[in-house]
Amino acid sequence: MNALRSEWTKLSTSPGTIWMLLGIVALTAGLSAASAATAGCPAVDGCAVDPARTGLIGVQLGQAVVVVLGALLLGGEYGTGMIAVSLAATPRRTSLLLAKAANLTALVAVSGALGVLGSYWFSRLLLPGRGYHLGALTEPMMLRAVGGSVLYLVLVSLLGLGLAATVREPAAAIGIALGLLYVFPIVTSVVSAKHWKRHLEQIQPMGAGLNIQATVNLHGLVLSPWAGLGVLAAWAFGALIVGWLLLIGRDA
Amino acid sequence: MSEATIEVTGLRKRYGAAVALDGMTFTVRPGQVTGFVGPNGAGKSTTMRVILGLDAADEGRALVGGRPYRALRRPLTRLGSLLDAGALQPSRTARNHLLWLAHSQGIPVRRVDETLEQVGLTGVARRRAGGYSLGMRQRLGIAAALLGEPPALMLDEPFNGMDPEGIVWMRGFLRSLAAEGRAVLVSSHLMGEMQDTADHVVVVGRGRVIADAGVAQLLAGAAGDRITLRTDAIAVADVLQAEGGVATRTGPDTWSVTGLPPQRVIAALGAHGVPFSEVAAHRPSLEEAYLELTHNAVDYRAPGGAR
Amino acid sequence: MIAEFGRQVRAEWTKLRTVPGWVFALLVAAVAVIGLGLAPGMSGSCGTRGPGSECKPPIGPGGEMVSDGLYLVAQPLAGDGSITVRVATLTGAIAGEHGKRPGLVPWAKAGLIMKASTTPGSAYAAVMLTGSHGVRMQSDFTGDIAGPSDSPPRWLRLTRNGDRVTGASSADGTTWITIGTVRVAGLPSTAQAGLFVASPDYTATAGGPFGLSGVESGPAQATATFDHLARQGQWTASEWTGTRIGGPGNGGPFEHQDYQRSGDTFTVSGSGDIAPLVTGAAGLGVSITQTLVGTFLGLVAIVVVGALFVTGEYRRGLIRTTIAARPRRGLVLAAKATVVGAVSFVVGVVASAVVLAFGVGVLRSHGVYVLPAGTGIELRLVVGTGLLLALSAILALAVGAILRRSSAAVAGVIVLVTLPYLLAVSVLPLGAAQWVLRFSPAAAFAIQQSATQWAQVDNVYAPAEGYFPLPPAAGLGVLVAWTAGALALATVLLRRRDA
Repeated sequence: MNALRSEWTKLSTSPGTIWMLLGIVALTAGLSAASAATAGCPAVDGCAVDPARTGLIGVQLGQAVVVVLGALLLGGEYGTGMIAVSLAATPRRTSLLLAKAANLTALVAVSGALGVLGSYWFSRLLLPGRGYHLGALTEPMMLRAVGGSVLYLVLVSLLGLGLAATVREPAAAIGIALGLLYVFPIVTSVVSAKHWKRHLEQIQPMGAGLNIQATVNLHGLVLSPWAGLGVLAAWAFGALIVGWLLLIGRDA
Repeated sequence: MSEATIEVTGLRKRYGAAVALDGMTFTVRPGQVTGFVGPNGAGKSTTMRVILGLDAADEGRALVGGRPYRALRRPLTRLGSLLDAGALQPSRTARNHLLWLAHSQGIPVRRVDETLEQVGLTGVARRRAGGYSLGMRQRLGIAAALLGEPPALMLDEPFNGMDPEGIVWMRGFLRSLAAEGRAVLVSSHLMGEMQDTADHVVVVGRGRVIADAGVAQLLAGAAGDRITLRTDAIAVADVLQAEGGVATRTGPDTWSVTGLPPQRVIAALGAHGVPFSEVAAHRPSLEEAYLELTHNAVDYRAPGGAR
Repeated sequence: MIAEFGRQVRAEWTKLRTVPGWVFALLVAAVAVIGLGLAPGMSGSCGTRGPGSECKPPIGPGGEMVSDGLYLVAQPLAGDGSITVRVATLTGAIAGEHGKRPGLVPWAKAGLIMKASTTPGSAYAAVMLTGSHGVRMQSDFTGDIAGPSDSPPRWLRLTRNGDRVTGASSADGTTWITIGTVRVAGLPSTAQAGLFVASPDYTATAGGPFGLSGVESGPAQATATFDHLARQGQWTASEWTGTRIGGPGNGGPFEHQDYQRSGDTFTVSGSGDIAPLVTGAAGLGVSITQTLVGTFLGLVAIVVVGALFVTGEYRRGLIRTTIAARPRRGLVLAAKATVVGAVSFVVGVVASAVVLAFGVGVLRSHGVYVLPAGTGIELRLVVGTGLLLALSAILALAVGAILRRSSAAVAGVIVLVTLPYLLAVSVLPLGAAQWVLRFSPAAAFAIQQSATQWAQVDNVYAPAEGYFPLPPAAGLGVLVAWTAGALALATVLLRRRDA
């Protein structure tokens, strides 16, 4: 409990934190608004594009800041030697990591929710003018898309934290996390072998995880929305577990 | 103007509302170790950063061998410096750290091994600098400062983190560098470290020079006319007062006497039959001289607040 | 000044090579580019079903890869002569996921042709009515002259005079408009002349369910009825011969192509296209650019090194040592940029050269047809990949010097370079995607484009298919501008700020 509070104090008194939280909200809502304002219906057979995905696209930008926040929470302490102070204050390393994860979850859940709800609000305002119908939040699929996007951001932050605990250099952790999120789908896009491509689409953290935003054409997904988010969760908790094992097994 | 001088004239610098330097002026001369002493926050490190051209002063100038540091083509051959011994890439080896510095100045690689030998790091030169103790890092920092065989050296708190053996080594080392004719400026917030090291001391407080004098001169000034007296007789205060002196008790059987030379104290005590075991002229330490000086400086400034 | 710069470059190079983590990251970058380039992530059927299944597209008279698919109703014409016909109707059908439906693709073609032989890729000149591009005069696959934008019924005439062929069209068969005269060097003295019909595949962008290819495509067929056929010159045969040349592979929905003659009226159905070959939705195989996809992953590693090369010094105060050793700060930054740029360039050039040397072979052995590119284009891809990595590294260095924080610099540059590309090839509508790839640093990936965009070929010329809105050099120029801007700002700040 003390670990939780001391981590909270550290996090809330670090000047970068508030800027990153604002960044998460602003970038998520901003890109979503831009997307909703410029969305088009290119297909001959009507809009095949998922309005929820179009309207919540900012999550793809906001997650970059989320990764930085998660990676710096632990990786930043390795950079400055602060980790020794933290471990002196909380010698039980498991508690330290759990406390950090809990605080991170709370912060990203709040800022992510603001960003995603902002996205939804803009899209609800702008998308009908572009020929799309965006469902109300009371519709189960829409609620899943919005709530799931917040969960998505929380899991991405835990991925950043786990990778930072693993590699200890925050810049490298951020590089690996963003590589997994952004470059994996680009690589998959050039794979032409159908079964390979399908497998790769099923295991990439971003592509699979964002299935949670799907509200139309659900049968065409490579994974169901919740299974997709589960793939991201597997990546995040996998990284956390590896990081935890290294944290308790390695000299600080 | 000799190459082996560092000359600082009227430096002023503010960080927002805080005054860091307030007309800092002094000269570091060749052939001696100059101590640069003051409490934390007195402006020592800022002055050194300005000398190195790292920070820009709002006013005033700093010259190394008569030229601004920023105008030097191969600065490490003019002024060797150590600001922060921890400023190392931890995964780079000590030797490689010196190697890139040598390459930047066109200094031959043999100097890298020579300086490593000089500071006693040859055996660990190929280990990651990140694994070094603070004392080893200080030695590596000294090696970097010596790399270009500069006529002037400037070291910020080089005694920090050194073990007693290292401190003795550092003292001898600094004195030998001065003996070679170099100008050596060494900062410290502990006056005691300077007593057996420096020939000259620049005492600073709140961004300006409080005293700029030879160590001998400073000690003489601080000695005053105090006498230490050892006795358990309480009557001593009255006896000496009658003679025109002031005795202040400083311990269970020790007194400090002012206003009377030692021979008159002995005569007076003998005449009144007061027993005593010791009368000695006080031998002041640089520490006391320093405290006196900085105390005055604080007093002088206190009424005006933060100016 | 030059000696100082040289010494500083040497010092920075020593710094870079003496941090094992950075050397490792640079190796990772090279391995990522090579590994993903040679990984058998693609497979196809070319050459894997025994002799005859090799994908060997025909070569046109200009030496380029072409597609040559049409239904030809012709007979030999010796020497000069002309042929005139009226295209009465032009209709079409499209095969989609839910079976065939009526529909005429924009570049469906029906008209007159004089062709060297029935061998795919042979020289030709043709005048035709198209689905929605009016009357055209085309020759030797790459030549395309626009005529009046009319629709059937329409009269067409093709006249040969030596190696010159003239196309003309008319609304009523009496008043003729010449569309153009072309020289067809490869036309023998006796050429095949007659009617033809072709229809390229149907393609459309459809915002798919978030998959990276929002493209719909399928085979199509066009059917035209011709009448009022008239000839001049020396026609040696008495009968018309119908020949199917090229076209969609076996077993397609438009397997059955032929012509029927009833009195003066010919009804001809054909599939395929007579045009330069393109990759992507309407084409065959992949471009060699796709073997360089590892550039994105390599770039991430390079960006981390580029940013840490300066932010690592800020984090530990080492920047003060650096500046004390070289008080000219602009020179320090220039030397750092030179070193990290040069090293990244070498990584990019070596890795992409390995991929281009071996990657094509790996893909072919897996049955993927890789569109060959000329040596000039391959050279551009190799040098371009090196420049791409070098500029990204310098951008990361500059942003790192501005922000003085590795985390923000790494995240910022990766987002700037990869996210616009990812969004452009996945979710953005075509217009927005092209806009993004004109202005963001991701525009630089245009330097890796190896496919050519043809006005007379309907394809999805989208970033997702390897077609960038800017030409290669201009795209790279966008990244140069971003990098130069960041570097200039970094220099100003480094000079102005206390170290």
